[in-house]
Amino acid sequence: MSIQITKQGIMDTLQDKGRYGFQHIGIPPCGYLDYLSAQLANVIVGNPKEAPIFELHFPASSFIFNEAHTICISGANFVPVLNDKSIALNTPIQVSKNDTLHFIQPLLGKTSYLSIKGNIDSIAWLNSKSDFSSHIKTNDQFNIIEWDGETKINSNKTEEEESQQYSIDKIQKHIFNSNEIRFIPGPQWNDLTNESILNILNQTFNTSLNSNRMGYTLKGPSLQLNEQKSYLSSAVTRGTMQLLPNGEVIVLMANHQTIGGYANIGQIILVDLPKLVQHKSDTPFRFSITNVETAQSEYKQMQKCFS
Amino acid sequence: MIHYFIIMTKNFSNINWKAQALGDHAIQFYVPEKMDPAMISEIKCFHDFIFSQQLKEIKDIIPSYHTLTLIYDIELLNAPLDFANDLIEKFARRRKTEVAATAVNKIIEVPVCYDEIFGIDLISMSTKLNLSTTEIIKIHTENVYQVYCLGFMPGFAYMGDVNTKIQTARHAQPRKNVYAGSVGIAGAQTGIYPMHSPGGWQIIGRTPLKIFDKDPAILSKFNMGDAVKFYPITRAEFDSLNENELH
Repeated sequence: MSIQITKQGIMDTLQDKGRYGFQHIGIPPCGYLDYLSAQLANVIVGNPKEAPIFELHFPASSFIFNEAHTICISGANFVPVLNDKSIALNTPIQVSKNDTLHFIQPLLGKTSYLSIKGNIDSIAWLNSKSDFSSHIKTNDQFNIIEWDGETKINSNKTEEEESQQYSIDKIQKHIFNSNEIRFIPGPQWNDLTNESILNILNQTFNTSLNSNRMGYTLKGPSLQLNEQKSYLSSAVTRGTMQLLPNGEVIVLMANHQTIGGYANIGQIILVDLPKLVQHKSDTPFRFSITNVETAQSEYKQMQKCFS
Repeated sequence: MIHYFIIMTKNFSNINWKAQALGDHAIQFYVPEKMDPAMISEIKCFHDFIFSQQLKEIKDIIPSYHTLTLIYDIELLNAPLDFANDLIEKFARRRKTEVAATAVNKIIEVPVCYDEIFGIDLISMSTKLNLSTTEIIKIHTENVYQVYCLGFMPGFAYMGDVNTKIQTARHAQPRKNVYAGSVGIAGAQTGIYPMHSPGGWQIIGRTPLKIFDKDPAILSKFNMGDAVKFYPITRAEFDSLNENELH
């Protein structure tokens, strides 16, 4: 069984939960940007929540299915079209041999996920199938990806599916209906001027177009340190808010460098990171401070959607 | 001033360790912020101690100049503060029974062709530093450097300290492409670009060695705490040894 990419999207990749255990030699962890939507798409087709999945950005890749498959699209809504009919998000969809899938418009969000029931037949590198480069690795010049799929689909609405609908709504609402992004202050928080601290907490920010799998650059009030100084590099992680010398904040994402020498003013909490990932540049958001306990408890609460 | 994150301080082996939570999924241990070669073996020792515990909660252990950061699994670790405290207590007990930190590593010798075709910043550095290119090369190959940490890209090792006579600040505007194997200087640090990439370091030569290999059995040529010495080779020797792609 296989899927063919007929048009390669410029930033599309295959991702799983990421590559851990190698950051001490400078290897970025990679992995899903919006892990909640990726896990959701996986669970809906019956895959393990941390299975490899296609991560798509607009303009996204186009696909042709060489066999029947069960698929699901979650996350951003790029208006997916199967052959010539638009299809629903967050729903298992049965596709047949020679069906085509393409995406026509970035309606909501920035990152979409396409799950396919079964296992992708690709080689893991350092325990992960996440693409390191900015394109989908394919087997040959025909852009074919082998997928060991299953196509059985349960058409009876069961209790399990009803509870799944509840989870879908909860996750969608969390990611797309909130303009508040929470963070925990970082080691250099106290090096910020008082005015900058007030700006972070009271002004709005936008994501800029200069945002990718390495990091999201924010537009907002310019932030300053009490004194311009350089810091010795230390480890950063996904969600780290680095203050650049020009006063801009960059939030590190999955493909981040492992250590960094800019001021680390805070970390966006994991459960809120998908909100930022999906935030388009025209919708402002606000920051608020939280703590480790709240962050961890909400993360675990949200993960219960997948159990 | 509000402290959101300082969780503990611990003194042992004449070192003042602190730890802080870094967001909701990391713990950072740190000592005073200073580029100090003496700290490399201490941090490496702590790194190796944690690694040897094979803790399932810990996904990554990332050392740098003055920090050691643990990336953990939220689902498996509930109380990061207690966890950090436990870990450093155990390490302190272990350190008491040891005379010194990890023994000196074997020196890794790295051939470098300092031909001006590779060392594209040698001439401008020579003018700035008021030294001949030969003197710069001689000074760069004299020291045994230690690897402080890795980062920037897979396999990129930050080594030091460079003799003050040839320390040069990085370019204000990074180059779009620096070739794999390029050997550079940035202030007190020297390092090698493992792959083609943008970069702002002052390039003084190129090694024919492969610095990062995707083969899981090889990966990075350097690890934190390694000792490294450069030696000059000719262009002809470079060509016969070259393991990197030319483009």
